[in-house]
Amino acid sequence: MTAKQHGTADTTTSMTTDDPIIEITNAAVTYDGGETYVLDHVSTSIERGEILGIVGESGSGKSMFADSMLDAIPDPGRLSGEILYHRDDGTTVDVLELSDDELREFRWEEVAMVFQGAMSSFNPTMKIGGHFKETLKAHDADVTSGMEFARELLSDLYLDPERVLDSYPHELSGGMQQRALIALSLILEPEVLVMDEPTAALDLLMQRSILTLLEDLQDKYDLTMVFITHDLPLVAELADRMAVMYAFQLIEVGNREQLIGNSGHPYTRALLNATPDIEAPLEDMRPIEGQSPAPINVPQGCSFAPRCPLATEECRVEDPAFTQLDSGHAVACHHPEDARDEIALHFERSEESAPVSGGDDS
Amino acid sequence: MSNYYVRRTLRVFATIFAVATLTFGLIRLLPGGPFTQLRAQLLRQGVPASEVDARIANLQNINPNAPLWQQYLDYMGAVARGNFGESISLGEPVARIIAEAVPWTVFVVLVSTILMFAVGIFLGSLQAYWEGSRFDKAFSGLSIALMSVPFYVVAVISLYVFSYQWGWLPTAGTVGASVEKELSIPFLLSALEHSILPIFSYTLGGIGGQALAMRGNSIQVLGNDYVRVARLRGLADRRIATRYVARNAILPMYTGFLLLLGFRLSGTVILEQIFSYTGLGYYMFAALKANDYPLMMATFLVITVALIVGVYIADLTYSKIDPRISAGGSDEAY
Repeated sequence: MTAKQHGTADTTTSMTTDDPIIEITNAAVTYDGGETYVLDHVSTSIERGEILGIVGESGSGKSMFADSMLDAIPDPGRLSGEILYHRDDGTTVDVLELSDDELREFRWEEVAMVFQGAMSSFNPTMKIGGHFKETLKAHDADVTSGMEFARELLSDLYLDPERVLDSYPHELSGGMQQRALIALSLILEPEVLVMDEPTAALDLLMQRSILTLLEDLQDKYDLTMVFITHDLPLVAELADRMAVMYAFQLIEVGNREQLIGNSGHPYTRALLNATPDIEAPLEDMRPIEGQSPAPINVPQGCSFAPRCPLATEECRVEDPAFTQLDSGHAVACHHPEDARDEIALHFERSEESAPVSGGDDS
Repeated sequence: MSNYYVRRTLRVFATIFAVATLTFGLIRLLPGGPFTQLRAQLLRQGVPASEVDARIANLQNINPNAPLWQQYLDYMGAVARGNFGESISLGEPVARIIAEAVPWTVFVVLVSTILMFAVGIFLGSLQAYWEGSRFDKAFSGLSIALMSVPFYVVAVISLYVFSYQWGWLPTAGTVGASVEKELSIPFLLSALEHSILPIFSYTLGGIGGQALAMRGNSIQVLGNDYVRVARLRGLADRRIATRYVARNAILPMYTGFLLLLGFRLSGTVILEQIFSYTGLGYYMFAALKANDYPLMMATFLVITVALIVGVYIADLTYSKIDPRISAGGSDEAY
C-alpha cells in the first residue's frame, strides 16, 4: 500500500504459552490510515495468572500495547489484528469483534486498566465512593455487596475504607489516589489487570509499597497482570515474564531470569547496562547512543540497527523475525549469540551487585 | 469557617456604604448641583421663595443650606431607612417608582441571562462533542459574529421588523394599556408579549460568548483522563455527558453567571429606552435627562447593590458546588 515496508507478516512469535488468557496476533495501531504505525504488528500471548512486565522507553508504543488489550486506543487511532481473550469456561472472544455493548461489559468485568495518572483518573467533583457505585450500577452489579467488596479491597490496600469512600479525589494524597484507583479497577473482579505506568507519578517509597500490594492482590484474587513501565529494575522485581519494546515492536520476550541474566538482544543488553545502579562504578554505566526512531522514520530492516554496534548489512535490510533462544525465550535479532559475546552485562563482572534486586527467588 | 461568612457579609455592607457615599459625592459634583432644578421648578409652581428651601428639605430629607456633612448624614440616614426622597420630575416617592420598575427589569434580565447561558451551554457542548465538524466550524463563526453585534442593534432591528413592519409584537411598554394591573392570565400574557423582544435582543448576542466558553471548557474536560477512565468503566454516555463533562465544564462559568446578572442590570438603560420598557434602566435615563437627582441616585444604588449581591452569592455558594474550593481564604470571585 505504501512505499514503506513493515516487515511484519512473519512475526508470528514463538512465544506461545501453555494456558494463555490473552493472545495478541499482529496488533497494529495507526493514526494515519496505515502510513505509519505506533504499534507495529505485535504478537504475543499472556499466560493465565502470570505477571508480565513490558519495558520500553518513552514513545516505544507501550501504552498503545496496553490500550489495545481493551480495544481502547484513543481516537482517531485504528487498531487492527486479532486479540483473543480466553475465558475461564473455555470460550474465546476476539476483542476487536465485540459489539459496543459487549465491549462495554468486557472492559472492567474481564480486563481492567490502571492509568499512569491516578491524580487525573477521578472526577474532581465526585466522591471516591461515587465512582465505585456508578461503576457497579453501569454493569448491573449488586451495589450493596459490591460496596462491601470495595471496602475489602481498600482495606487490602491499607486504606481506611470509610474515609476514602467519603473523600473527594483532591482530599487524598497521590499514593492514596493510586491505591484507590487500583481498588476501583478490581471492583468487578476482572481476570486481567493492565497497568500502564501505575507508579510513574509516585515517589520511590510509594512505588515499592504499591508493588508489594500488587503482589498480595495477585495472590489473593488470582489476577493476571500486565505491568507496563519504563523502569526496568522496578518491574524486574515483580514480573514472572518480561518483554522489551523498541520502536513500536516487541524485540525480546522471556522469563525474568532469562531476560535479565541472559538476554539475547543488543538493545536489552544495552538497556541493562544503562540502568543506574548505585553500587556499580560510574564508568560502567553505558548510555545508548542515538535516539529511538519516530513512527515516520522507522528504519528499514531492524529498527535498532542504526544504534547497534553489531549491526551488519543483513540487519539494515531485513527486519529480523523472532527466533527461539531457549524454551520460552525469544528474540528478534539476527545475531543474538554475538550480542551475548560482545556486549558484556556489567553486573556480571561485579557479581553481587546485580542492577536489579530481583534475583531472590530464582 | 463561619467567621468567613460573617466577614464576607460585613464586607457587603461596607461596600454598599461606600457606594452610597460615592453616589452622594459624585452627584454633588455634577454641574448645576442637585437642587437647582428642583428650586426652579418649585418657583415656577408659584411656591414663595422663602418657603422653597423648607419644601426641598421636606421632599428630599436634606436641608440644602446645611453644611455638606450634615447633608451627607441626613442622606445616608434616609437611605438606610429605605427613604430615597421624592422624584423631582415625577412627583412621586422614589421608593415607589423603583418598587414598580424593578420587577420588570429583574424579569427581563433574569430570563434573558438564564436563556443566554442555557442555550450557550447547550450549543457549546454540542460543538465540543463534534469538535472540528462542519457544525462546529459554522457555529464558531456565527458565535463570533453574534458577539460583535451589540444588543441594541439587534433591539432596534427586531423592533423595526417584528413590531413596526409585521406588527406581530407591541412596540412599547410592559403591558397593554387596556390590561388591568393584577395577577390574571390576560395580564401575564400581555406582559409576556411585551417582554419577548427585549428578552430576545438581550439574549441573542450573549449566546455566542457563552457557547464559545462552554465549547472551550468542554473540550478541555473531554481531554481529561477521568473521562476516558469513565468510558472504560462502561458508564452510560448520558452520565458521562452530564455528571462528568457538563458538571466540570460549567463550574468555571458559574461565577460569571452571577456577575453577569448584576452587570446586565445596568445594560437595561439602553435596552429599556429602545422598547420604552418602564423598568429600572428606563427611569434611570429619564432621571438623567430631567436632572432628577433623587431618582438617579436611587437607580444607581439599586444597580450597584444588585452587582454586589451577585458577587456575594457567588462567593458564598461556590464552595458548595465545587468541592475543591473551600470557603474562605483567597478563593473569592472578586
